Amino acid sequence: MSLLALNDVNVTTEAGGRRIDVLRDVSLAVGRGELVGVVGESGAGKSMVGRLIAGMLPKGFATSRGSVTFLDRDLLAMAPRERTGLLGDAIAFVPQHPMTSLNPVLSLGAQFDEHLRRLGQDGKAARRERALAALDSVHLPRPADLLGRFPHQLSGGQCQRALIAMAFAGKPDLIVADEPTTALDVITQARVMELIDELQRDSETGLLFITHDLRLAAQHCQRLAVMYAGEIVETGPAAALLSDPLHPYTRSLVAANPGIAGPVRRLAALPDHMPGLSGFADLPGCRFAPRCPVRDAACAAARTALTEVVPGRFVRGAGACRKQASALAGQDELPRAAADAAAPPILSVDGLGKTFRSGRDWLGRRRAPVVAVDGVSLDIAPGEFVGLVGESGSGKSTVARLLLGLETPDGGRIVVDGQDITGPFQRTAKQRIALIQMIFQDPQSALNPRQRIGRLVTQSMEVRRPPARWPERLERARDLLGQTGLPQDTIGRYPVQVSGGQRQRVNIARALCTAPKVLVADEIVSGLDVSVQAQILNLLLDMRAQRQISMLFISHDLSVVRYLCSRVAIMNRGQIVEQGPTEQVFRAPQHDYTKALLAAVP
Amino acid sequence: MSAAAVGGESPLRRALRSGRVVVGGSILVVLLFCAAAAPLIAPYDPNEQDLLNALKGPFWTDNAAPGFWLGTDNLGRDTLSRLIYGTRVALFVAVCAAVGTMLMGTALALLAGYFGGVIDWLISRAVDLWMSFPPVVLSLILIVGFGVGIGNVILAIILVDWTRFCRVVRSEVLVIRRQNYVDAARLSGFSHMRTMVREVLPAAAPTIITLMSLEMGIAVIVEAILSFVGMSVEASIPAWGVMIADARNYMYQSAWGLVLPILAIVTTVLAFNLLGDGLRRTFDARLQQH
Repeated sequence: MSLLALNDVNVTTEAGGRRIDVLRDVSLAVGRGELVGVVGESGAGKSMVGRLIAGMLPKGFATSRGSVTFLDRDLLAMAPRERTGLLGDAIAFVPQHPMTSLNPVLSLGAQFDEHLRRLGQDGKAARRERALAALDSVHLPRPADLLGRFPHQLSGGQCQRALIAMAFAGKPDLIVADEPTTALDVITQARVMELIDELQRDSETGLLFITHDLRLAAQHCQRLAVMYAGEIVETGPAAALLSDPLHPYTRSLVAANPGIAGPVRRLAALPDHMPGLSGFADLPGCRFAPRCPVRDAACAAARTALTEVVPGRFVRGAGACRKQASALAGQDELPRAAADAAAPPILSVDGLGKTFRSGRDWLGRRRAPVVAVDGVSLDIAPGEFVGLVGESGSGKSTVARLLLGLETPDGGRIVVDGQDITGPFQRTAKQRIALIQMIFQDPQSALNPRQRIGRLVTQSMEVRRPPARWPERLERARDLLGQTGLPQDTIGRYPVQVSGGQRQRVNIARALCTAPKVLVADEIVSGLDVSVQAQILNLLLDMRAQRQISMLFISHDLSVVRYLCSRVAIMNRGQIVEQGPTEQVFRAPQHDYTKALLAAVP
Repeated sequence: MSAAAVGGESPLRRALRSGRVVVGGSILVVLLFCAAAAPLIAPYDPNEQDLLNALKGPFWTDNAAPGFWLGTDNLGRDTLSRLIYGTRVALFVAVCAAVGTMLMGTALALLAGYFGGVIDWLISRAVDLWMSFPPVVLSLILIVGFGVGIGNVILAIILVDWTRFCRVVRSEVLVIRRQNYVDAARLSGFSHMRTMVREVLPAAAPTIITLMSLEMGIAVIVEAILSFVGMSVEASIPAWGVMIADARNYMYQSAWGLVLPILAIVTTVLAFNLLGDGLRRTFDARLQQH
């Protein structure tokens, strides 16, 4: 018997005078003690599933068809009061942002107490006992001490553990976890997932795990449902789904994910991106058809249904989708670009250091200085991509800012193409601009929303002496858009008018404008969906092949670094703890931290 | 947010859909017209005396005199004409003082917010110190120092109120400064000056425009107070504050001479505040409904 069952649910909203099915024919079941993953890129509707179960659909959204049954009772037909009564008690939620999901002005103990009282536990002492036991069960050290603390005194991982403890404390029948580890570092993520596995094994609780990370879901869940544009395109046992995906979308999702082991093949990137909500109305048939590599003329009009292909495995779509599997076969293995070891390095960093001295506290005592970067040395050969890997707070972004001159180093030397550019920005600006450029992490923040893309990508020409004239800039802008695979008509658009992936291309185009020798890329694909990420990674590879560009690629994602970079440096607490050829470091890590990082990759 | 953030609609068009902006703006257009066309639309010279018709009431009262629509003051000067001419002083001070406070406050706020560090500390402490003086007392002291006159009134308002701009705009600049596109501009070789003007200032413009509108309302009040105590314009120039001061002695005979200029001030300030509030609502992404 299934605990939770969604049967052909449609969630509908209205936009621009048209009815839009935000969720279409969604059927999903979670059994007792089962861990089911819902996987999809942003905008796929996976969070809407969580909201549907919680009865918290956004304003203007309503269920127009289907039923949601929980323990054989129809949740949608239930009176709101009764339904609210189930939440927290029988159905618990683990949120995406642990830090903002706890009340910052109440201690952890007070929030636990309130939660348990709502669950019907009498007696303050008894509640405290239960809270202590719950915190102990999520392996938080010194639980009694923690109860007196406030959320800001805890790390993100600790907050998420506490929230998981709260969710499990009521012994609920079902837990809905919406991206519970997305805000956490890799190692913390692995520990939190282990914890969820363990708690779930010991109880009869069913768990619905919503995530964008196919590999992570496949590692922990028994069954998976892959969503695309509001529809479930494929469901089945996790292991089979990952090793032998049947739907073209699932297949491309697997193909777009660089692996941590095995041969490195060129990623098969889907063209374009997932349509937004308003685009759903224009897709009466298969919603994946416009991007599908094996579509035919009938696809755009044909309404598709989930059909059982192999026992236990359901795939949406006509037979044609699966027949042409060969069209999606793996690409050729990438030749590993061996950097010319004999050539002098294009970028040479020696003993770089930076310590932040952050003022005084309210009593006027000096705060302890923070050593952000401690003796970092690094060489990059011409045409080489070097990865710099570390968790948040490891100092890798500070390295980028030091290289670009946005911060002045306390010590060390930075030499690019034989020119020393260590000094403060004002003195070295002229040299720097033509030598080294940065691609920023978040294109939303890195592109001035008030300027058109044509101006943005050529902004460095504005301050050239003599100043560049507009026709010249326009020509350069066209050239840059072409190089980064952007359509020419984006030249007159504002950044908000293009998609996230295109925005990141604009960001790259701007960095290329001065034709720098070295690019520094700070987490440039971390905010992107897998299929868009694959497009950008391939673009970078093509740029290297055509232009011999060198890059310091900063990332927390080991598989992405392995795909792009021939050498890698692992950073922890401001120091580089290990560096070497990527394959060698990944196959035989020497430092404990590197080992822990590699072990944590799903 | 930018124009394009809401589907390519221009900020001006969005502002015009707000009732506050339309009402406030309409009143101000009427006032501007009165000020510009005062000699054409005022029925009398504002200083022309008609002692036979002194202290008359408006046309709807028993004490009305034909031809004087809103009555007369103790010297038989036409109240309507004086109100119309008074608009000139009010709006002149409002515009000049608001522009002045904006220039001074924004310039210092940009420096403080953009550079941070010692510069920020110095400017912020100066603002703190400045704001600890009671504004009315400070402006009176300044006027006593500078001497009487409309130019000095404007100067006094600027020197008292620049801190309001400085504080608000600085906190805005601090947020904008942290956007990556400001760093990106520097990496493209922009000078500090160009970065401030091209990248930071446009993002703070909505706040600045809103503040200016509110500042104009404040300037109208301050000017009225100072002309009430005889520290602003000469007695021969009609101003609302002067009218209130004149009418005060005769308020038991005819209260209208007091009520009408007060209404004029209230309407003007209300218009500026409505406009400012409406603009703030259209520019502030947090208050927009989706």
